[in-house]
Amino acid sequence: MAVKAPALRGNRMIAKAHALRIEEERFGWKLILPSVIIIGSLIIYPIIYNMYLSLFDVKLQGANIYIGLQNYKNVLSDPSFWHAVLTTFIYVISTTIGTTLIGLGVALVMVKNFPFRGLVRALILLPYIAPVISVVFSWQFFFDPVNGLFMHVTYDMLHLFDKRFNLIGSPQNAVIVAIIFNIWRSFPFSYLMILSRLQSIDSSGYEAAEIDGASSWQKFRYITFPELYFVIGSIVILRVIWNFNKFEDVYLLTDNVKVLSVYTYFKAFTGVMDQGQGAALALIQFLLLIGFILFYVKKVLKW
Amino acid sequence: MKKPTMFLLILLLTLSVTVGVFAGGKQETKPASIEFWTTETQSSRVSTIQTLVDIFQGINPEIKISVVPVDENDMPKQVAASSAAGNLPAVAETGSENSIDFGSSGLLDMKEATKIINSIGKSAFYAGPLSMLESPNKGSYYALPYHGWIQGLWYRSDWFKNAGLNPPNTWESIEKAAKTFYKPDKNQYGILVGTKAENYAEQCFTQIAISNKARIFTSDGKLIFNSPAMKEAVQYYAKLAKYNPPGPQTWRARDYYIQQKMAMFFYSTYIMDDLALADVAASSLTGKNFENLKGASFDSNLVTQTGFAPIITHKQPSSYGVIVALNIFKQKKAADTAAAEKFLKYMYTEDAYVTFLHMAPGGMNPVIKKIAASDKFMNDPKGIFKKYGKKKIQSIIAGLEDIKRFGIVGGKLIPQYGKIFSQKIIPQMIYKITQENADVDKSMSWAEGEMKKIVE
Repeated sequence: MAVKAPALRGNRMIAKAHALRIEEERFGWKLILPSVIIIGSLIIYPIIYNMYLSLFDVKLQGANIYIGLQNYKNVLSDPSFWHAVLTTFIYVISTTIGTTLIGLGVALVMVKNFPFRGLVRALILLPYIAPVISVVFSWQFFFDPVNGLFMHVTYDMLHLFDKRFNLIGSPQNAVIVAIIFNIWRSFPFSYLMILSRLQSIDSSGYEAAEIDGASSWQKFRYITFPELYFVIGSIVILRVIWNFNKFEDVYLLTDNVKVLSVYTYFKAFTGVMDQGQGAALALIQFLLLIGFILFYVKKVLKW
Repeated sequence: MKKPTMFLLILLLTLSVTVGVFAGGKQETKPASIEFWTTETQSSRVSTIQTLVDIFQGINPEIKISVVPVDENDMPKQVAASSAAGNLPAVAETGSENSIDFGSSGLLDMKEATKIINSIGKSAFYAGPLSMLESPNKGSYYALPYHGWIQGLWYRSDWFKNAGLNPPNTWESIEKAAKTFYKPDKNQYGILVGTKAENYAEQCFTQIAISNKARIFTSDGKLIFNSPAMKEAVQYYAKLAKYNPPGPQTWRARDYYIQQKMAMFFYSTYIMDDLALADVAASSLTGKNFENLKGASFDSNLVTQTGFAPIITHKQPSSYGVIVALNIFKQKKAADTAAAEKFLKYMYTEDAYVTFLHMAPGGMNPVIKKIAASDKFMNDPKGIFKKYGKKKIQSIIAGLEDIKRFGIVGGKLIPQYGKIFSQKIIPQMIYKITQENADVDKSMSWAEGEMKKIVE
């Protein structure tokens, strides 16, 4: 009996610990349940339903007809889809590089001390915090071919062009304007992230480099850049995700730039309203993005 | 107190007394809560409609109506979305093409619409608007015609006179004038035709195409879009588009005319108040911030210096107009349908009807003959009709009888056209040709292919 008592006590303690762990697990589940329900109903369910819908010829009236992978075949054999993919890549790559480089440049200037720095820092954030619709209207007014200030200055006053033109409306220029608009609107985010990292870099490294006679470029290359590597890496991945799915900036500014999200909208909700193909397009866009993220996280961020 | 407010108060009192007198003999309506979708999205119009609805609710406390403004370009997809979700509105105000589209898709309660038309009396309506909404089964109607407008070329008659040009009512005279007045170096443009992929482009194009006897369908519903006559019309339209302000343009560019930077533009009679009244034209002018810019201030002579050419003649005369209808959507509850019926009958009573039409004098013309002839209708609150004169107003309204549309051939209604219109196939084709420099033949083949998907 004397031998068995500690064993019994041990068993009881194990059982108690086990019960406690189960209780904690239950409590944990209770805590995350609201999030699971919200994510499940607002994200997982639509994705699954979208997958399901992409296998049908969707009828706005009456029953949908199962057509297997036909929607995917139709999408992939449509030259305008590949054109949209190309436009999306041009848009995403240009805007990501542009916002990151300008954000980096502005942050490197803003980290220095100069009069009214606080005011300038606040002003830089304006494009990012202003509502997109008001900013778009300002741009449309600015570039209006007949009454806009851009034409007034460049054509009427400076005679830089031989005729007036519609910079935003013209399909030839529209993608460039959409890229410039996004860079202008989004660079403050990159600037803010990079600036906060720059401010936390220890100055002793720079002091040591100066004693060693390092140039400004060498200080940036060997001290600043390694410190910023993961911040810039995160900015790039976030910007790619956001701009790959970007709809409102592009669509409101000009409906001529058919990036994938705008192209999917036109396919699903205008013209012949092919919602089956719209669903297939959304899934293809999703897969392209997931593929990029997996590659990027493994190769660039090395997580 | 402002005139319209006073008028609405009197209307409320009149209706309350009328209802008080006749209430004893009326059948009780079960409680119902319905939605009324309107394409009148401007805040002032929404507020007038809301007042009309408030008065109706005051008389019928058992019925609750929510007014939902919906952009006319978004109406087809909003209806499609709410149909898929199973919560269609009870009543919606849409163009007749949309009505035909919704009706042929089985969304509308055509029996109820026909019943109300019969109770008002078919002979009370102008024949044209009513026939536009008649289904292929004669005597049955998709929706109730409510108001309409006519389109034409509004032009600077003084410029034309000084240049010795004829009014723009033939292909030749239009092109000659557009070319004459196109002076981009002086920031002046010859004409405005729609080139953006929006309904406006189709409205402009229809009048041109029909004047060349180009049709989308034969009277037995056969698709004949890709014809030599249509190609000729497309090429002519693309030629006119070269005298447009730069880039893709839609109805909003009519502002350039009000700013005196354009010689003519396609527009409906909705423009009448913008041309006549400074406060209405204000949103089309460049504003107080740019006083030195040409066209910044309102020109009160513009209304007298503007001519209107509603008919374009080439191989045949052609005019274009739109009938806006009140649609009754199929409802799950009979009480909602009954409430919709009651509401629609109220909307045709003289006071409510005239109040509605006076939201846009010239743009909203009555389809009931008695209303068109009434002094109450002629006496609009802003006095616009007086500036044009009773004779001109009457001739504009009578023009509704003769409007030609792609969807009606030889007196027969082609329901598939409603879908083609809703899906903006022709505007997309025009955009490709005029803005992306796409080949005319290829673009027309593309458009025909899209139309075939609908027809077949």
